[in-house]
Amino acid sequence: MNELLLQGLVNGIVVGLIYALIGVSLNVIFGVLRVVNFAHGEFIVLGAYGAYFAQQLLGLSPLLAMPLVFLVFGLIGYGLYFLLVQRLSRSNDPEHASLLVMFGLSLVLGALMLLAFEADSRSLNFSLEPPFLMFGNVILPTTKLLGLGVSVVITGCLAYFLYRTMPGKALRAIIMNRDAIQIVGVDLNHLSALTFGLGLGLAGITGIIVSMIFPSFSPFIGQDYTLIGFIVIVLGGLGHPIGAVAGGILFGLAEQTAMVFFSGTVAMLLGFVLLIAVILIRPAGLFGVQNLR
Amino acid sequence: MSDETRETRIEAQNPLSASQKNPEKTSHIKSLIWGGVVTLIILAFLPVPLFTTNLSFMFYMMLWLTMATSFNFVAGMAGYMPFGYVAFYGIGAYATGVLYKTFGLPIPIALAGAAAAGVAIGLLLAPTLRLKGVYFGIVSLALAMAMKLIISLMPAKITGGSLGLILSGANDPTMAYYAMFIVLLGALAAGTWLSMSRLGIALRAIRDDREAAEVVGVNVVRTRLKAWVMATMFPSLVGGVEAWYTNAIDLESSFNLLVTAKSIVYAMAGGLGFLVGPIVGASALYGIDQLIWRHFPTLNLLILGVVIIALMLLLPRGIVGAFAQRFSRFRRFIP
Repeated sequence: MNELLLQGLVNGIVVGLIYALIGVSLNVIFGVLRVVNFAHGEFIVLGAYGAYFAQQLLGLSPLLAMPLVFLVFGLIGYGLYFLLVQRLSRSNDPEHASLLVMFGLSLVLGALMLLAFEADSRSLNFSLEPPFLMFGNVILPTTKLLGLGVSVVITGCLAYFLYRTMPGKALRAIIMNRDAIQIVGVDLNHLSALTFGLGLGLAGITGIIVSMIFPSFSPFIGQDYTLIGFIVIVLGGLGHPIGAVAGGILFGLAEQTAMVFFSGTVAMLLGFVLLIAVILIRPAGLFGVQNLR
Repeated sequence: MSDETRETRIEAQNPLSASQKNPEKTSHIKSLIWGGVVTLIILAFLPVPLFTTNLSFMFYMMLWLTMATSFNFVAGMAGYMPFGYVAFYGIGAYATGVLYKTFGLPIPIALAGAAAAGVAIGLLLAPTLRLKGVYFGIVSLALAMAMKLIISLMPAKITGGSLGLILSGANDPTMAYYAMFIVLLGALAAGTWLSMSRLGIALRAIRDDREAAEVVGVNVVRTRLKAWVMATMFPSLVGGVEAWYTNAIDLESSFNLLVTAKSIVYAMAGGLGFLVGPIVGASALYGIDQLIWRHFPTLNLLILGVVIIALMLLLPRGIVGAFAQRFSRFRRFIP
């Protein structure tokens, strides 16, 4: 039983880091733009399809496809900002308006994927030698280890970007005070568009990691990832990029250990119970600042 | 006599000053318009079963009118955006099914049980009302998914498991049609009460400025709770009556997020915060939706998504809201 629990904990950390990555990109977008990206899960699935077609058509390995997907998704995000997001700031209630617009986008993307790629689920043809490593009695598939490594590297890069570079600092400054940042001469529009691009680029990369680790993907699973992302960011605190990492790992650990003892449904339910408990005790999330608005 | 005629003439020339002078008259005109709208609805839906046996189109139109109207109670009047609104619809469907099928109760009692179940769950979730802005929406969505999981974990003997429940023996489309008609009238009556009474003024005051409302003595928690209970009861009833009409209940359709989405879209397309908003929005868009379903079933979701985006970007206040903004001197007459 102890080995099972240990296996669950290890899985929890691996899966949790991927959830964290979903949450971080969602939170960067929310923190800077006050946009609740309901279509995040669809972009993750699109990223998985990107890796699939890069492999099928160009013969690229998923790892090499990552920078390509990041770039393409970043450009799409930059464009989408001017198409959809910019107008929202003039609305009476920008946050709810963004939630609805992005929900509409998620329906559109889901339907388009269904039309373009059809309903059957696909999986990436990806394996490593050796297929798994043993640590004592704990089995770790090498693909999961690789996914873990990539997630850590990306989260590290992002943390470096946010805390050590000028654009990153400007970005965090927007999260703290939207009005003051414009006084010191930051081009809010340009930076916001870049942020949306960054968020979608990260979603695309997350999709590739997801497709390497989880067995299959289909146009229908986007909303599941969006929901996971929402749980993670509410756990960690809305608009708090690093809080999302903690929220992701917490949720991953809870879900995977519950999976060991109960069923997948109970594991998912436990995630929701955890969310409600945290919300009732600390309404702004674990790392959120009280009274965010 | 001559004084009176002079006053009417002045009023006709300058309605703004007239209505400022005479607020009772304004609210009288408002009530008249609203009464006319309700009468039209009654005349449109009441005699339908006399003329045709194909009730489906009108039945679902009433369903969406009710859903959009009751969604307006929380979204338009109280300022919350419950993204998990479908939870109450699903709970109502399952409560009706379980009470009728598993416990053998007659349909009317099962429907009453559905309303009670919806209100009970609503009260259980009332603590989430203290969450602000999108937090509330996200948590509400998570709770709806949690409800679905809880029902799926219940023993299949009670809820029918993944197969769902078939309400054989309850088939009576005409009765179900009139049940939905009564639910719709109930929702319209509740809307009238919520918006035209002191409660409605209090609700709008809280939505616009919570602190100020508190200072002048509005009980924020109790006022919101009343709107919330109304808004949870009607979708439960709608879910129950729909289950009766179709005789089938399953998890996927009872907890389909599209139920929330359509309630929101119809209510917003008309204009949140106005009593007539959801009615205008649901009547306009439901017809379009049905046309799309019939001719392009595969494109339905795609078009729904595009409509949502276009509405939010181009007409964020809805049809009635845009009208009220354009012709602001008529605003006070719109119920």
